[in-house]
Amino acid sequence: MLEVRSVKSKILLQLLLFIMTVPYVLPLIQMVAGSLGGRGFANYKAVWDTGVVPTFFRNSAIISGGVILLVYVFSMTAGFGFSKLHIFGKEVYFWLILVALTLPEVILLTPLFVTFQKLRMYNTFFSVIFPQTALQMPFTILLTRNFLDGVPDELMEAARIDGANTFQLFVSIIIPLTKPIASAVIVLTLINSWNAYLLPLLFLQSPAKQTVTLLPQFFQGEFTNDQTKILAAAVMTAIPEIAAYLCMQKNFEKGMSAGALK
Amino acid sequence: MNDRAAPMKLKRTNGLIWILPAFLFLVIIIYYSMFFTFNLSTMEWDGLSPDQTRVGLANFAKLFRDKVFWKCLQNTVVYFVITFVIQNSLGFIFAAILHTDVKLATLHKCLIFIPTILAPATMAPVFRLLYSPQGILQSFFNWAHIPITVDWLSRPNTALYVLMSVAIWEFTGMSFILYYAAMSQIDMEMLEAARIDGAGNLRTLWSMVLPNCRGTTVSMAMLGVIGALKTFDIPYLITTGGPMHATEFLGTYIYRQGIRQSHLGYAAAISVMLLVLAVAGAYLTNRANKGGGKHA
Repeated sequence: MLEVRSVKSKILLQLLLFIMTVPYVLPLIQMVAGSLGGRGFANYKAVWDTGVVPTFFRNSAIISGGVILLVYVFSMTAGFGFSKLHIFGKEVYFWLILVALTLPEVILLTPLFVTFQKLRMYNTFFSVIFPQTALQMPFTILLTRNFLDGVPDELMEAARIDGANTFQLFVSIIIPLTKPIASAVIVLTLINSWNAYLLPLLFLQSPAKQTVTLLPQFFQGEFTNDQTKILAAAVMTAIPEIAAYLCMQKNFEKGMSAGALK
Repeated sequence: MNDRAAPMKLKRTNGLIWILPAFLFLVIIIYYSMFFTFNLSTMEWDGLSPDQTRVGLANFAKLFRDKVFWKCLQNTVVYFVITFVIQNSLGFIFAAILHTDVKLATLHKCLIFIPTILAPATMAPVFRLLYSPQGILQSFFNWAHIPITVDWLSRPNTALYVLMSVAIWEFTGMSFILYYAAMSQIDMEMLEAARIDGAGNLRTLWSMVLPNCRGTTVSMAMLGVIGALKTFDIPYLITTGGPMHATEFLGTYIYRQGIRQSHLGYAAAISVMLLVLAVAGAYLTNRANKGGGKHA
């Protein structure tokens, strides 16, 4: 994009890049440095010895898994229906789904709080999985429909002639075809549900049910504001996420950027 | 599914059953909650007592006289404008540099992108420390003998800017990735031609590359407007809206009024305003996009 010929300008550009990146690394350095303050690695041991870290991770995994499964099934079936099948008043349904795209989750708090308590769903995984799914689904349906709109109908008509019914066609043609968009949908849903804070904060009361985003808060109570251990917990939460990103860089970048493009 | 023995055109197969599960799920959770909120916004209720008092539009009348509500809107606008400009400028410059032949490009790419995948909830304690007199910024100023005290989070006139810096830190990676992808589509011969005509790097970036990334800029604007209105995690976790509502946003104010102080009717009225603004914001940016003519 840029034209750099001389050695001097090449070095300057490299230096500029380096200086611009420093602020992005600084908080990570602060995180690690802070977590080693006071008693050093003993902070990590103290956090680990509480025994709750694996529980919080397991809970996050269960919730994210549930959300991903529901979002995937709903997006693929609805994306297929909207893109390829005849539905009376199709665009009205689609528009009603799109309105939900702009919905801030804080609006759901009171209605769902009152309702979940009545239904005895409060403090269950479902109380987070269901609203999360509803919040993410409008966008992933949009993504899937747009993707399938770009796939020619002839592929499906051919299967039709071979006598496949709609369900067989969905399983044998649509599911394999949508793999590229499915991986973006899955990664996007994973990041959003793994990082979600507000719904777990309000709907999951017992530490046995809470997620990794609530770990700092939990340790604030546990260690009466000992920052070093709270940061050690933050590092332990961040490492698996960074590792997952580094292993699947392309998928993460595609998923996140799918989140910004219509 | 209306299957018959004879093969039938796909477009004529009734697909209602395929969209119904997703649609009903959404109606039960989202539209139910919206209806509940609209209803609640005309009431006074503390969430516990059995009697809910109908107060008509009194909550909205109160809202328009509420200084904190206007402060939230002001914060949202300032926050959107500043983070949008800085975050996208940085993302654009990073993308341009990394599209040039530089060393350690992948490393830099990862370092810029990592913040977007980390939860604000995980990073909040880190930022509270970083922007405190115990943090490494303060150590640096002490070391360099610069007489600055890092107490920006506790001061009403600086706290909002600290939060913006956190948001920019978090989302530059997203702007970067999108501009990077958009730049891969640009015809290099066109740039070459501009260079032969004597255009320098800055000139080329400004009048050729940036206009070609217009689609990305518009997407980021739409996402930014909705994102600024939805802002909750960063202010709630780092400053809880303080000091003195200096970092209050609609989301944190709804939480404060509804969950903390049990003014559920009033919180619902703010929620209705938030919803109206979010839909209007999305509609207007979308229209601005379509009105602008050229699509990139």
